[in-house]
Amino acid sequence: MGKLSESLTTLDKDGVLRVVKADLDAGRNPLDLIEDAREGLQKVGEEFEKGNLFLMELMRAAQIFKSAAALITPRIKEGGRIDKVKGKVLIGTVSGDVHDLGKGIVASLLECEGFEVVDLGVDVPEKAFVAKVKEHNPQVVGMSGLLTTSIPVMGRTVQALADAGLRGQVKIIAGGGIVGEVDASRIGADFTTSNANEGVRMINAWTRKKG
Amino acid sequence: MKKTFSRYERLLAAWNLEEADRVPVAPINCYIIPYLEGLSIKEMFLEPEKLVRATVNCLDICGDEVDPNITTLDHLSLLGKSGWDQATLDWRIWDDFPPKGNIPSFYEKTILEDYDDVLERGFGPILFNRKICPDVFRRSPEDFIYYEFEYPKIYAQAWRRFVEEHDVPLLMGGRACHPLDLLQYYRGINQLTEDIFERPEKIKAISEVLVEYEAMRAMKQAMIMGAGEVPGAEIIFFVNGGPPGMSPRIFDEFFWPYAKKSIDLFVKRGFRVRCHWDNDMTPYLDTMKHIADGLPKGKVLLDLEKTNMKKAKEVLGDRVCILGNVPSALLVYGTPEEVEACCRKLIEDCAEGGGFVLSTECETPWDAKRENVRAIIESAEKYGRY
Repeated sequence: MGKLSESLTTLDKDGVLRVVKADLDAGRNPLDLIEDAREGLQKVGEEFEKGNLFLMELMRAAQIFKSAAALITPRIKEGGRIDKVKGKVLIGTVSGDVHDLGKGIVASLLECEGFEVVDLGVDVPEKAFVAKVKEHNPQVVGMSGLLTTSIPVMGRTVQALADAGLRGQVKIIAGGGIVGEVDASRIGADFTTSNANEGVRMINAWTRKKG
Repeated sequence: MKKTFSRYERLLAAWNLEEADRVPVAPINCYIIPYLEGLSIKEMFLEPEKLVRATVNCLDICGDEVDPNITTLDHLSLLGKSGWDQATLDWRIWDDFPPKGNIPSFYEKTILEDYDDVLERGFGPILFNRKICPDVFRRSPEDFIYYEFEYPKIYAQAWRRFVEEHDVPLLMGGRACHPLDLLQYYRGINQLTEDIFERPEKIKAISEVLVEYEAMRAMKQAMIMGAGEVPGAEIIFFVNGGPPGMSPRIFDEFFWPYAKKSIDLFVKRGFRVRCHWDNDMTPYLDTMKHIADGLPKGKVLLDLEKTNMKKAKEVLGDRVCILGNVPSALLVYGTPEEVEACCRKLIEDCAEGGGFVLSTECETPWDAKRENVRAIIESAEKYGRY
């Protein structure tokens, strides 16, 4: 593990930014730097899933990654290089629910992982999910919700996608406070979870298989 | 012959870590009662007599105490009340329950732009601010004065009559939030996380301010509700909701000291403290076992949401009463038989020797099945006899 990823796993923001600046000044390929930072973030994610690190630390790691990426990304563009996009994920909190945090954490982690994320916001009607899937053609749809009432709404959203003939072209993940306690088949999703990192890992696995 | 316990005595025995006739049972019923009785959320908040009548019609799911929905007072009075105010909550559609309307919900947003104003001028004045809360200026001064000074008395009278007529104590008289719980509403959890790592001294300084602010407000609320006269009104419902997923280091440094300080303050002023602890607190139990240190017996209860109750009983069951935690998902999607099995396990794990109240995890979802909530009450009768 390099210095950059190591500093990220210890949540040392100053250390991360110091290494990034020094490496960029030394002419290191910015794409390699992004990969190093991702390695650190993945390590934090693994430790989070093992119970050795906590959600706040996962959020902090994503914040540090974004600060690093803000320095690195302009250099990638300057050099005419392209950071490989792993896939496209469309994500939103379902209709009737305005809770944003869980969705925000997952969206943030996905962006750090190299996914293109289309964030539809909160209180997103079924119709909007359908329209946006048609517009953006994502590989994965993520539905978020904290309230118990969001569960049937998630089911209706999946049904709306099926009615529009879109169900077969997307994997669907549902997440939120109690969503992981509900079987995916009740919603019609492919996977349910209450764990942000587990969700990101599943999306990674799906897009790897498809890729 | 065995003593017959009133509901209040049964609860007091549990708080005192003693066995009563049976395990007390008390789901936290908030929105479910107005929903079952066809009240709008607006009526629930504005017409206490209707809410009380609805509660009377739902006594079959109340058990040994009732939630007087103190958040009502938080919302309608002047700003800056435990996060439940016009600045933090989404009240766009409060006439109806879903799917037409919604229950009040939090937005993740940064309302409070920096801490220095609060440190200089206190918390209240900051929120009476056009930028933070434009809605405040749509209400007339008379309206605010009524809901700040007059309505709480009307509200308290309605609940006092309920307690007298039905002999069911209140779950709380006042409500306070932990400083970090409050800050997550006004600062947003993402921003608060950054603040904890980058501005730790500011967080500690503002926490000191907020402990005082919340304590004074909650104790006043409890006094209006009849603390000392109305059974249960002497309880401060102390919300320790978040932020979620703190590491034990952050918990010990930023959360615990102010939780303990608040609890000690309430108890020293003569109140009992129900610590409502959202999230899974299992990683912090070793610290939390000191929650009642230095305090008289029977003054603190831990109301746990996702925490492992068996573990909680093992670690701190000889020190403090614990309450919890039938899962919300089970109450909405499970069967009475599944709820009964869950309750039986909780009683087996936690009830021995007293110091346990059977309840829901956080509040009963408004869309829970009535028969499932009733199954909690019946399980206490069936399996909870001492």
